[in-house]
Amino acid sequence: MQSSSKQTFNNAVIATQRFSLGARANDLKRIQKIEKQWLLNQLNFQPAVNFNTALPHSNNILKIQSDFRTAQRAYRKKVKEAEKLNLTSDSQNKQQQSAIVKNIKAPKNPNGPLYRKLIQDTLKQAITADNSFNWRCLDFFSNHFSVTAQNSTMRGLCATLEREAIAAHLFSSFEELILAVYQHPAMLIYLNNETSIGPSTRYAKNNRGLNENLAREIMELHTLGVNGGYQQQDVTELAKGITGWSVGRPGKDKKQGFIFRAKMHETGVRTLMGKKYPSDGINQGIQMLKDIANHPNTARFVCTKIIQHFINDQPPEALINHLTHHWHKSHGQLKVVFQALINHPLSWQAPLQKYKTPREYVISTYRAITLKNIPIQQVENALTVLGQRPFQAGSPAGYGDLQEDWDGASALMARINWISNLMTKKRLQKINVKKLIETLFADTLSEHSYQMITRAETRHQALVLLFLSPEFLRR
Amino acid sequence: MLRRDFLKAIAATLVVYQSPLLATSSKVNKNQPKVVWLMLKGALDPLHTLVPTFETALKDLRPNLYKSIDGQCLALDKGFALHPSLANLHQWYQNKQLLPISAVYSGFNKRSHFDGQDYLESGLAAPDLENGWLARAIQVKNKQAISISQSTPISLRGAQQQAKTWFPSYLPDAETETYQALQTLYQDNPLLLSRLQEGLAVDELLAEQSVINKNKGNFINLSRSCGQLLAEKGTDCAMLTLGGWDSHKAQAGQLKRQLSLLDKGLQALKVALAEQWDNTLVIVATEFGRTVRENGTRGTDHGTASALFLAGGKVNGGQVLGQWPGLADDQLYQQRDLQPTSNSFDWIAAALQQHWQLNQQQIKHVFPAHTPYKGKLFRT
Repeated sequence: MQSSSKQTFNNAVIATQRFSLGARANDLKRIQKIEKQWLLNQLNFQPAVNFNTALPHSNNILKIQSDFRTAQRAYRKKVKEAEKLNLTSDSQNKQQQSAIVKNIKAPKNPNGPLYRKLIQDTLKQAITADNSFNWRCLDFFSNHFSVTAQNSTMRGLCATLEREAIAAHLFSSFEELILAVYQHPAMLIYLNNETSIGPSTRYAKNNRGLNENLAREIMELHTLGVNGGYQQQDVTELAKGITGWSVGRPGKDKKQGFIFRAKMHETGVRTLMGKKYPSDGINQGIQMLKDIANHPNTARFVCTKIIQHFINDQPPEALINHLTHHWHKSHGQLKVVFQALINHPLSWQAPLQKYKTPREYVISTYRAITLKNIPIQQVENALTVLGQRPFQAGSPAGYGDLQEDWDGASALMARINWISNLMTKKRLQKINVKKLIETLFADTLSEHSYQMITRAETRHQALVLLFLSPEFLRR
Repeated sequence: MLRRDFLKAIAATLVVYQSPLLATSSKVNKNQPKVVWLMLKGALDPLHTLVPTFETALKDLRPNLYKSIDGQCLALDKGFALHPSLANLHQWYQNKQLLPISAVYSGFNKRSHFDGQDYLESGLAAPDLENGWLARAIQVKNKQAISISQSTPISLRGAQQQAKTWFPSYLPDAETETYQALQTLYQDNPLLLSRLQEGLAVDELLAEQSVINKNKGNFINLSRSCGQLLAEKGTDCAMLTLGGWDSHKAQAGQLKRQLSLLDKGLQALKVALAEQWDNTLVIVATEFGRTVRENGTRGTDHGTASALFLAGGKVNGGQVLGQWPGLADDQLYQQRDLQPTSNSFDWIAAALQQHWQLNQQQIKHVFPAHTPYKGKLFRT
């Protein structure tokens, strides 16, 4: 089977490994010779990705969080009162008192369970998806607009950004995508814009005022890039332009989710990168962001990152030019940009150019072993152990996307130990290794890897070697 | 085959991998100077850490932030004081083993964390992400380094086999047979092969210690492991990273926790180093500082100058160095940041030069754009 002359499945393996999350039974045969079309078709899926819609929306979560805070305050008050009750009394009363205190139940923090439900849904969908290219696109932008579960509120909210803002605009224009992201509670709260107040408004008292955090990361990390031709002055101007972009407080504001607090908005003409924007309420910020989204440096910055993510750590100049050309022609239609990526021959050069991130590695492993019931808690744990827990990048720059970010010695040891433990599971011992090689790689596995795996001394070892082969570690 | 025998066997047969980490019989040289490079990511607020209590303007510039520590700071000389959470470091200072330096910057004068971090790790006028200053230093002095992280940080990139990584694993190890088979599987793949051998060697080393708490990846445990790796096994230097300093909002509470973690972590490092503490230089720096004024959300935004700390058994501590620029409006950088008065790399270069005996040519190679500070940074 492993004769070097064939390897007719190269493109099918690239389509499923490099662009997607790995082949499942019969995928390679099914898509052979129509690889590009198979990927292009996915761009037309409506919706682009499917979530479990029964899970709570960010508006519900904000309400749940608000109720929790209220319950917490009530709880603290009750405990305090109970403690005051018998301060002067004897020991018997003291016992009664501590019993009373014990009986007051502390409200349960809802954010941990919310986080787990939401991220587990995403993982489960990605593992079972037929359109796993779209899930890779979602992961890309979710990491591009990275939010971190750095506190209780963000833990509950973080996963809603990709579900609500990003997924809905995955293949629309970049302009629409960023406006949805910057009007989403998770991003507004994560980068402190919900409390940013125009410095000359009357609310800018008691040390409350402008916060530049979101504006800076928009320009540096999401759009123009750090050398994108803007100055500190531009950051401040954009920050002022989006003052008042905030999040409704349940029970206090009429509207839920994103709200524009006109009274906290800094009025006046803003100048961004040489262009003047008249005072126009929320529209001023929208216009500024639209111009940033359509700036040539944004096209180049985002296209380079897309190529770096999907194709190669060192993106070929020709491919960058090709993507930015299509970006400009289509005014930043992401669907067109991804079509350009799929259609260019440089995207299909020899396999194994990229080292899989832990997320890609874990998801592609679970896809390959096709379990009836996915042990989703174990999938989540695996990401933690391998260093890429969802929404824990700890910085708005997101997780690193290059080989050197993930290929350290102890990272490899962690993969070895994880795979070795996973493959001891009884139900996996039924896997036919040769068939699995056929499913994942067809005739493309190197002779050496093929021999090593098929001649391993136990089935366990064969599986371990397969999942740790250079061909599976890279894509 | 027992794992240790297996490791000895690969050590004996493989020429590609010649690390002293594998030489299990290596004895620690008592006078081997060691370096710990701790990078604080997210931009440490200098005015809330190395506090200039003599500046009466502080109360107005940062009403809430200063109030949270006013009267509780731990006094140093010249009217400076440490944040109340830094009790261990204050003790080091009193023992003349901590040398704080005020108003330093890396030469980077923009306000992007990530560019600032690249700058601080690379140590070149034009940052090269594959070429770190600690890597250059260990190359010219033929030293061995370990980074406590899951992948090689920029500071240690470019030194190939002289720089390793280690991070605690939560999983039980695979069987020896699996590692053996992987050796063969990776025979045509030098990168994977070297990573595997490196991983096995470091795991083995820490298994021997048996004191490492494998289940905890928090900074205190990582620092302790770092100290143990340095103290027992003849590795010359180590890199640690601690994030969480980007205090845009509610800074007082955040820094109280963070500084306490830093203080406890560094103390754990010192305890683990035991007698090697006397041969150790610890360098603590951050990518840039924060605004002098408190912002609208009781935090501070990205600034320019910050503080730098040198520590160790023989460091010429117990004094605060660095020229103080003042906090009046016209003394600030761009009217918002602490004005830098010296370059962090001038201090780091001097400390490395004096600790590892780098000659002129070597120091030029490691820090081509900097001039080492001339004063004595170590006691004899």
